[in-house]
Amino acid sequence: MNKLLIAVAILSLTGCAMFETPTPVKRNFPSVPTELMEACPDLKKTEPTEKLSEVLKVVVDNYGQYHECKIKVDTWVEWYKTQKDIFESVK
Amino acid sequence: MWMLSFVPDSILYLVVIGIMFSGISLYAFSFITRVLPPLLPYTGMIRILGTILTVVGIYFFGSYSTEMEWRAKVAELEAKVAVAEQKSTEANVKIQTVVKEKIKYVKETRVVIQEHIKTVEAKIDSICKVAPEAIDILNEAAATPGAKK
Repeated sequence: MNKLLIAVAILSLTGCAMFETPTPVKRNFPSVPTELMEACPDLKKTEPTEKLSEVLKVVVDNYGQYHECKIKVDTWVEWYKTQKDIFESVK
Repeated sequence: MWMLSFVPDSILYLVVIGIMFSGISLYAFSFITRVLPPLLPYTGMIRILGTILTVVGIYFFGSYSTEMEWRAKVAELEAKVAVAEQKSTEANVKIQTVVKEKIKYVKETRVVIQEHIKTVEAKIDSICKVAPEAIDILNEAAATPGAKK
């Protein structure tokens, strides 16, 4: 009887969490800088002209547009890596 | 069971300890009934009741300990999440500042180059005339692939 009591008591000590199931910790998805949420516009097209300078202006605008988009893409990558590191630091 | 979360920890602890020690006391008391003749017929019942209360008390004690451990873990995790969210916000501010500066620089550079073109516009246009086919090819290349025309 006593041995049975000891055995049951030891098993009971493992105690199921019967009082309350722990609430999972809520984590919010990190917000993204608004600049990165803007879509890259289409490239500009050149109006029919014989002037090379007019063509050049459009090409320069498009190059600039490319550089802006490159910055956004590179920043997205950096944002992802940074936020991933921060997310994984919580264990 | 969730209602128990409204009961203060200290009271819950006292109840659990109370049940456990009542059981142990009853169980121990059941051995003394030999010297108390009026209680002799109830010895078995007292011992069974003591046993049940002891087991239930120990079970509750185990549950209480587990629960407290979980609550501590949740609190610890919540604190870590709060720190992480703060870091995330700070990182976003930093990223936002850098991206704004870079884009501003690109825009400024574009303006400078456009101004430069204006200064040499006449020279460029006097040397070279662009064939319409060149414009078509350029526009074809600039068109977004797969986009409707």
